[in-house]
Amino acid sequence: MVSAFEFAPAIALLPLAAFVVALVFGNGMPKKGAYAGILATAGSLLLSLWMFATVAGGEVYNEGLYDWAIGDEITFHFGVLIDPLSALMLVIVSLVALLVHIFSLGYMNAEGETGLRRYYAELGLFTFSMLAFVLADNLLMAFMFFELVGLCSYLLIGFWFRTRSAPSAAKKAFLVTRFGDYFFLIGVVGIGATFGTLTFAGDASFVAEAQSAIEAGETFHGLGAETWVTILGLLVLGGVIGKSAQFPLHTWLPDAMEGPTTVSALIHAATMVAAGVYLVARMFGFYAQSPTALAIIAFVGGFTALFAATMGVVKDDIKQVLAYSTISQYGYMMLGLGVGGYVAGVFHLMNHAFFKALLFLGAGAVIILMHHEQDMWKMGGLKDRAPVAYYTFLAGSLALAGIVPFSGFWSKDEILYDALILGLEEPIFLAAYAMGLVAVFFTGFYTFRMVFLTFHGNPRSEAARDPHPLGMNVKIPLIVLGVLAVVAGAANLAPVYKLAGLDITFLEHWLDGAYTDGMEGMTYHEYSEMTGYETGYIGSETITLLIGAALSLGLAFGGAGLAYILYNVPEPKAHTENLGSARTVLRSNYYQDEVQVWIAEGLTLPVARMADRFDQSVIDGVVNGVSSVSLFGSGGMKRLQTGVVTNYAALIVLGFIALVVGLGVYGGWFV
Amino acid sequence: MMIEALIAVALAGALVTFVAPNRIAGKLAFAISLVPVAISLWMFATFDGSGNALIDGELAFESQMEWIQLGDYAITWFVGLDGISLPLVVLTTILVSLAIMSSWTPIDMRESQFYGLVLFIEANLIGVFVALDFFVWFIFWEAVLIPMYLLIGIWGGPRRKYAAIKFFVYTNVASLVMFGSFITLVFALGDGVSSFALPEITEAMLNGGPESFAGIGAGTLTSLVFVAMFLGFAVKVPVVPFHTWLPDAHVEAPTPASVLLAGVLLKMGTYALLRFNFTMFPDQVSQFVVPIAAIAVISVIYGAMLALAQTDLKRIVAYSSVSSMGYVILGLVAYTQFGVGGATFQMVSHGLISGLMFMAVGVIYNATHTRIVTDMSGMADRMPIAVGVLIAGAFGYMGLPLMSGFAAEYFIFFGAFGSEASTYMPLFTGLAMFGIVIVAGYLLFAMQRTLFGPFRLETDYEIRRAPLHDVAPMFVLLGLIIALGVAPELIFEMITDAVDPIVDLAAFGGDA
Amino acid sequence: MTVEIHYYVLLSAALFCIGLFGVLTRRNALMFLMSVEIMLNAANINLIAFAFYHGNLSGQVFALFTMALAAAEVAVGLGIILVLYRNFRDVDVTVPSAMRW
Repeated sequence: MVSAFEFAPAIALLPLAAFVVALVFGNGMPKKGAYAGILATAGSLLLSLWMFATVAGGEVYNEGLYDWAIGDEITFHFGVLIDPLSALMLVIVSLVALLVHIFSLGYMNAEGETGLRRYYAELGLFTFSMLAFVLADNLLMAFMFFELVGLCSYLLIGFWFRTRSAPSAAKKAFLVTRFGDYFFLIGVVGIGATFGTLTFAGDASFVAEAQSAIEAGETFHGLGAETWVTILGLLVLGGVIGKSAQFPLHTWLPDAMEGPTTVSALIHAATMVAAGVYLVARMFGFYAQSPTALAIIAFVGGFTALFAATMGVVKDDIKQVLAYSTISQYGYMMLGLGVGGYVAGVFHLMNHAFFKALLFLGAGAVIILMHHEQDMWKMGGLKDRAPVAYYTFLAGSLALAGIVPFSGFWSKDEILYDALILGLEEPIFLAAYAMGLVAVFFTGFYTFRMVFLTFHGNPRSEAARDPHPLGMNVKIPLIVLGVLAVVAGAANLAPVYKLAGLDITFLEHWLDGAYTDGMEGMTYHEYSEMTGYETGYIGSETITLLIGAALSLGLAFGGAGLAYILYNVPEPKAHTENLGSARTVLRSNYYQDEVQVWIAEGLTLPVARMADRFDQSVIDGVVNGVSSVSLFGSGGMKRLQTGVVTNYAALIVLGFIALVVGLGVYGGWFV
Repeated sequence: MMIEALIAVALAGALVTFVAPNRIAGKLAFAISLVPVAISLWMFATFDGSGNALIDGELAFESQMEWIQLGDYAITWFVGLDGISLPLVVLTTILVSLAIMSSWTPIDMRESQFYGLVLFIEANLIGVFVALDFFVWFIFWEAVLIPMYLLIGIWGGPRRKYAAIKFFVYTNVASLVMFGSFITLVFALGDGVSSFALPEITEAMLNGGPESFAGIGAGTLTSLVFVAMFLGFAVKVPVVPFHTWLPDAHVEAPTPASVLLAGVLLKMGTYALLRFNFTMFPDQVSQFVVPIAAIAVISVIYGAMLALAQTDLKRIVAYSSVSSMGYVILGLVAYTQFGVGGATFQMVSHGLISGLMFMAVGVIYNATHTRIVTDMSGMADRMPIAVGVLIAGAFGYMGLPLMSGFAAEYFIFFGAFGSEASTYMPLFTGLAMFGIVIVAGYLLFAMQRTLFGPFRLETDYEIRRAPLHDVAPMFVLLGLIIALGVAPELIFEMITDAVDPIVDLAAFGGDA
Repeated sequence: MTVEIHYYVLLSAALFCIGLFGVLTRRNALMFLMSVEIMLNAANINLIAFAFYHGNLSGQVFALFTMALAAAEVAVGLGIILVLYRNFRDVDVTVPSAMRW
């Protein structure tokens, strides 16, 4: 009997095949290659589910497939690692990719768009890169597909290349994430050179090597092992911050809304942005050995969660609001991972994938309804005209805002709970917790501001009064995701377990390897031991849990309620204008873009121009100077040749006399 | 005798093309150039050498013949291939063929002379990579300059004379420095050597080195020769601050000459560095690690910064070549398997990628008659296929994984980071790696301005889709780039085999 | 009675100096040419005088060669002067100065 895992590479290769097919034959195919993509991602989804079932049956898989480059000390290879984490992620990615492909039939094909062949080919390549990244069994392979994911997002964000803004946004996305990847690549090189291996799992993984190095008290480059691990971990984190759009490398993400909305859904929910957080989870054992690195992850996450949420409050474009919510939500995941809440972080990653894909596709549906208008102030009243879009969008919004019992509540609450109990023991983390908590309020507010402005009240434009109808290929993905957004939280009802004793913490068991054997050193349990975090409680565990849940739920309701009061009226006003100068700062995104554009165009470019002038004048000047000096010298010499024959005769005579005198002196005549 | 056949076909082809009518010269030259491609691929398939050519390696296709006795020294016709030179020979034959095809459109005068010269260059380039006797090698080395001088000087742009003379004089002076110091070294080696065969000289160098000569002590003399030869080759590579001839030459050269210049001629410099400096002088390398690594880092960063400031597409690619060659130096000085192997890999990889880039820029120039970034935008709208290939090539240049540039750069970074040549190597590596950000910066900026956005063109030319024979060579190159990126072992295996003996020479315990 | 050798040398030196002076100062091409001839003949006198002094004939043979050479030189030289005159309507040697930088 052939093992299911034998087919694991096919999960990634099917979309690659779709890419090739769409690229080569796309123009001749019905729907320009969409069916190839749908077929391939459906195949990937089925295979992923099979992997998932096999892992649930107790097996894991960690095999090298192909040696990429062979050296004496280290061999770089491509391989497949299927454990609970990657099996889960495979299902998420292939599911979202499939739904996005289906949705694209309604979103892209309907409008007589040109370049559909390119679109579907790039979508296939995108899915391939992400799936291969998830499958990767070593850091180098992960890096390679991480970069390819970046390339695909560049291509897709810049899909409408005839505009001015889309290519600019695409360039920014690639450049900013490239800046992060620079650190990541140093990290990869450093880990490989230090530990002689780049594999994630097994006895010879770099995680295990790092652990034994710390235990043995080794030093690298004059630094202690733990310091060195911290440095390497932070270098890799640079790539994560870039891809997962964490502060200060988040600026590319709102601009990336220039791409088609379907692409945004894919980027935000399951691929590009998720890749960063997935990477942290993938090598969590490495970070777990460095408290400093974890603390930095937690603070970056907490700060980003709050920072992005405040900016989301004042946006008018429906996709912009969602963009900032994405940044904020990934901040939560980082916070969760940073405080040692591995399960909570992964849980939120999963839930977020569903509800954010839902929200983006919902926004796509709204944009179809509105004849490609994205300004929320021109919408309104869509609730009755498009009930399917409304109710699914609402489900996603409730999940995003963290309202019980929708999925987002359970995971976000678990993250905050993990941060709280750690903070009670190590007070510094309370600051991160506080930032996460405050962000809940803003999240509730901007989410429902968006919902009310879009769907409630009176229609505020012609398009909103007479919306474009939605097809089945739009509705089906929305419904699937809507259901998931509601029920996905049931995967891990940790509070219920702690309060009522009902053991509904499947995900925790899943990630703890309870259903599988093998995977030593990669379970939640062992990660917790590695971090060495102590936890504290207010009173007892139950009381702490209740206080935490009440706080976050209260704030979420507070934010949503405020939005209800302000915006759920027939003719809402732009209340944010009352914020005065604060609004200007928020709308300008704290001038982050200006700073980064200044670094690129105000600092680097002038320095480059100066270097160019230096090169042209000084360095090339010296080169040309050498030739000028020799030209000048010979220019003087050549004047001896006057063309007058008498002068030549004189020169001959003088030369002869000089020769005679010279020889005479040499021969000693005049002594 | 296969190597002789290779050179002879190219030389004979050059003669035949020279006298052929202009009308058919291009097609004829292309047909002839396919023969060396076939021969080199056959050699690649049947390659049975092992080890390094200079250090007791098993040579493939070796051939040796007495030529001239010069005093106490014999000059022999001595050629052969090892794992370092074979990939470069294959690169040369393929690039020449493709460059010929890509010149069908832009070259419209004195065609037979043009294609004759290109084939003549091919013969000499192959000679440089196969020759194992210093004199034979040096003859080929110098003979490359003449046809390239003519290609730039006759078929070049408006400032072609300046560029051609600068190129010729600059590299020729450097050759003089190198030649003089090497001959000094050979005389200083005294009775140890009786010929100019490179393996013999290498052996003498590794077993004791030179005696004192002309009143200079042995140690000082070796160091002086090392530095002089490094400087001599540095001009050819080129490294900062000897790079200024390159952008001028590239900008003025016709597209196919640029392809060969960036693709193969620059590799002559790094190949010679590897063969001479880094094989014959391991002790001096470890002595000069820090300055050489610093030069490498400066080349990478400074070259990239210069590229950032340019508005001429060809100048951008030219300066980025300076940057890419800096990586090669960094890999060489690391003295590790991946460092030196990666440097060799980068020579091949950069040859393919820069060739592709120059062809793509050439195709755009053929259509628009401008290369200035600000003169055009939205080219993707009019020439989708050519632009698609250009984008792929640009990402290859940025070191996108699964393309050969990434493999090369990763090998170099990995080898350099783990190198024990100096305690500062991780630092140098980290600094040099910042080049991958800047390269992305200038290529993305240039692409955004020229290829995307609404269509606009300042010159009065009607844009047509590029003909197949302009695009086909680019697809071939792209295929090779991806093939080497997905399976670097295709050539990396033979490269490491030839590089290992060099790495073993390292004065420090080189590993990783 | 024989003339002492040093009188011949003095004569030859004097003639040579006259010729040299002419070459350096005369602008007329004909005078120039004649000065050159005088210098040649100064050398001839030397050759013959020393041949006689040493008692062998090789010096005289050389003198014959020199005379033949001088004849050829005059032929060529006059030809040049004719061309000079034709082009410049003058035989001043300082006028044609195109053969320079």
